[in-house]
Amino acid sequence: MGTYRMKAGLLCALALAAATGLTACGSGNVATGNSKSIQIWEGWTGAEAKAFAHLVSEYEKTHPGVKVSTLFVNNDNTLQKVQTAVVGGNPPDIAYLYGSWAPNVAKISSVVTLTKVVQRPGVNWNDFWVGERDVATVNGRVIGVPALVDNLAVVYNKTLFAKAHLPLPSPNWTWPQFVADAKQLTNVSIKQYGTAYVTPGSEDTVWHWEALLWAAGGTILNPANTKAAFDSPAGLLSLNTLRTMAITQRSMYLDPTDSAYANLFNSGHIGMLVTGPWDLSGFPNVHYGVQIMPSFPGTTGGHQTISGPDNWVIFNNGASRVSTAENFLLWLTAPAQAEYFSLHTGDLPIRASVGNAPSFDASMNQALPDVSTFISNLGNVHQARPQIATYPQISQVLGTMVVSVLLGKAQPAQALAAAAAKVNQILAGSG
Amino acid sequence: MTAAAAIARARARPARRARTTESLTGWAFVTPATVIIGLFGAAPIVWSLVLSFTNDNGLSSTSAFIGVRNYKTLIHDPVVSQAIEHTIVYTALFVPGTMLVGLFLAVAMNRKIRFIWFYRTAAYATMAISTISEALVFIWLFDPSFGIVNYVFSLLHLPQQQFLNSPNEALYVIVTMTIWGWSGFAVVIYLAALQGVPQDLVEAAAIDGAGRWATFRRVTLPLLSPASLFLAVWLTINALQLFDEVYLSTQGGPLGATTVLVYYLYQQAFTTNFDFGYASAIAYLLFIVILAVTAIQFRVGRRFTFYRS
Amino acid sequence: MAGPRRRLPFSPWHLVLIPATIVLLFPFVWLIITSIETPAEALRFPPDLTPHVIRLQNYPDAYAAAPFGRFFLNSAIVAVTTVICNLVLCAAAGYAFARFRFLGRTALFIAMMATLMVPFQVTMIPQYIITKWIGVNLLGGAGIGHIGALIVPNAATAFGVFFLRQFFRTLPIEYEEAALVDGANRLVVLWRVVLPLAAPALATLAALTFLDSWNNFLWPLIAINSQAASTLPLGLATFQGAHSTEWTLLMAGNVMSLAPMMIVFLIAQRYFVRSVAATGLTGV
Repeated sequence: MGTYRMKAGLLCALALAAATGLTACGSGNVATGNSKSIQIWEGWTGAEAKAFAHLVSEYEKTHPGVKVSTLFVNNDNTLQKVQTAVVGGNPPDIAYLYGSWAPNVAKISSVVTLTKVVQRPGVNWNDFWVGERDVATVNGRVIGVPALVDNLAVVYNKTLFAKAHLPLPSPNWTWPQFVADAKQLTNVSIKQYGTAYVTPGSEDTVWHWEALLWAAGGTILNPANTKAAFDSPAGLLSLNTLRTMAITQRSMYLDPTDSAYANLFNSGHIGMLVTGPWDLSGFPNVHYGVQIMPSFPGTTGGHQTISGPDNWVIFNNGASRVSTAENFLLWLTAPAQAEYFSLHTGDLPIRASVGNAPSFDASMNQALPDVSTFISNLGNVHQARPQIATYPQISQVLGTMVVSVLLGKAQPAQALAAAAAKVNQILAGSG
Repeated sequence: MTAAAAIARARARPARRARTTESLTGWAFVTPATVIIGLFGAAPIVWSLVLSFTNDNGLSSTSAFIGVRNYKTLIHDPVVSQAIEHTIVYTALFVPGTMLVGLFLAVAMNRKIRFIWFYRTAAYATMAISTISEALVFIWLFDPSFGIVNYVFSLLHLPQQQFLNSPNEALYVIVTMTIWGWSGFAVVIYLAALQGVPQDLVEAAAIDGAGRWATFRRVTLPLLSPASLFLAVWLTINALQLFDEVYLSTQGGPLGATTVLVYYLYQQAFTTNFDFGYASAIAYLLFIVILAVTAIQFRVGRRFTFYRS
Repeated sequence: MAGPRRRLPFSPWHLVLIPATIVLLFPFVWLIITSIETPAEALRFPPDLTPHVIRLQNYPDAYAAAPFGRFFLNSAIVAVTTVICNLVLCAAAGYAFARFRFLGRTALFIAMMATLMVPFQVTMIPQYIITKWIGVNLLGGAGIGHIGALIVPNAATAFGVFFLRQFFRTLPIEYEEAALVDGANRLVVLWRVVLPLAAPALATLAALTFLDSWNNFLWPLIAINSQAASTLPLGLATFQGAHSTEWTLLMAGNVMSLAPMMIVFLIAQRYFVRSVAATGLTGV
């Protein structure tokens, strides 16, 4: 009677022993104990991964005793992994986190405050673009060091413009011109669209519209971040512009999945795309040009654009590891390294001094044609999205608003009013 | 004694000592799996239940016990009722659809014809493909302007559809995508079960003059009923927890048309609200629903499934 | 057995299976073609399934981009161990649920099924904490950050128990009873009588468990903190940046990742057909 119970027990013990025995060849979490050993979670791929690896090994060479180990984590997943690790008691030393998460990341207690660190002599905090500094700061507290900066501009297909006998976009072009161009570039019979827009309703949908809102002279919230301010003539103007293209002219390809529009442009099916520098390397089949955003005549917005910087955030794993992490990040974001990274990846420089240097534009354009327009466009970033913890909820409301207009389910005025009411509720609730 | 008598005796209600033995043996067999599933499956679930009574946001280390407030909010949350509706519609289409496709293909594959291993492998392969690849292909196929489906529609003089761009149609595209992705699983399950259908029963029915369809309905299907119950239960449990395909294609849109419960709770926990307590409460609502539906399926199944022991 | 008179030189079922297989395999065609294209041709929409330039170099490139040898090894160790554990533990438990009467059987089964009904997004963090605690205190470090964290929590699943319980219940009990009468104990009955009969189900469970383990992404993402312990899905993720993806390398990686799964299935297939002795079980 006891034999089979024993045997069953033996079998399970064997199985588990096999499991753990066989798994003895895995290695555990790096960076424990040694205070000069830090771990970074980042999502660099391709050229960025190579450039970053080079910089890391250079740092290790010039700082003997310091070990920087990197772990690849897709940027979309980093916050989830960080949250789990924080609750579980072993956060990384540094993590790459989206700027839009900053106000919520700031709530994590093990996030290190860097306000004094970035004021150290030689760091030159103001050399970072204003958009980056805005996103790294939450309620006056600096919680991150800029990792990446970008902005939105218009990438257009020169060949399609030539075929339609249209003048190429000029630096002082207007949104009405954009709309007219889009109409001319649309040809249903050959499935060609003037422009495109992503419609999953996520932040990608929202921030494209916010650029228009700002260009029309509007703002998202009031300065105190207590009330919605986008239900204004500027809001109406921006939504009507989108509506004209999506519904009236049907010159806008609507991409509900955020995955097709870039390849469509690369296949010559789209005339103009509002997008960022990261997409340029995905257009090898197109003679493209880049132009800054159009303006709305008669408004104060100018050729404003929007920027989406991301942060390196340091987590507290003990004073010595924090100090090692700080020193590494300050070195990584110093002008020399920032320039190296930009030149080898095509990513925009995180420092103005690097971007404004004389031959920098030419060097960048060699690797990635016309990316210099994005670099100078950084000067058109005047404001940032509200740095409040409820922004993700507000973004969702705004996303629904924009998509409902694009799909013809709501008129702009109604959509604005409804969204403003919801946003005010959210803002009131968070007080 | 004769074999028949011995068997009859073995079947007779065992004596008390034998019952205790059986109990202990049963527990011995069950314990290893129970330990693993209990530790890594049940304990986290209990933990999450506790979380649902707090306002934990997964970020700051302080969280307060707030009683049933999350559940009260849940009941009044319009998105939750929409999400429930979407989830139920999805499940009601996905489960029968997958079972029918799987059964049809399994019956077709359950024969000794050439290349049968290739067909079976093709079915299994649909489970092996990464969800991202599956999503990308279907997004392409159903693209309103450039996809094959609308192209075929135009050939058949059917009106062009907006598919993933239409709040009315997006969910059905997801249904189609997931039926495709899961039919391989149903095929594999039914194939294993079809092995248990004795050929001589089928032959006997044929000799008795029953047509192929009648044989299938009267002999094969009932013998497949345990597999059908298993599939119905498992597919339902999965359908009610749909997430990956929504995350990789429409992200809950357009206009929330494909927001199912798990996607909504994911948003609540990790992207929009950072409210783990609320997300856990939603998960528990879903848990109750799944438990109830599964219990009903087992109850109904008891009447319709036929075990040969 | 008299079959319908064949008008065609092949079984008419091929006419059904071939179109069905085309539908089933279509994404694979796209996958494979993308994996041998140049990046320029892969970045087209709608995708063009007729590349002008074939680039087989994608495969060595993908393999070299990250330590894929290590990822394959880790994935293999995790998957094989998980399958073995599952077959042993779930067969024992499934058999008990199917055949034994014991106190609390129904309640325990319901509790097990319940673990399938809460989404992973919610149980992820508690599971992490528990795995970490067990790893540190009971398994000598085979917890978070170690591939043991990928094996132990999945060593038995309610799915496996449920699946085998259903299957065991379909087996006619006569064989087991005969063996018991002959004096065999329960374990021997399971091992000698039931498991051989259950070969198709075991092979199916093995194939499904292998697939689940091989493709598992979210838990390894959370639990693993070093490249040395990473598995294949984590490795493939390195081709996906936030804004740009190296599609050709990713698809090449996907194809390479599929190969072992298909091999496992091809092997498992041989057991799908039950042994001759097991057929014709009517009326003992």
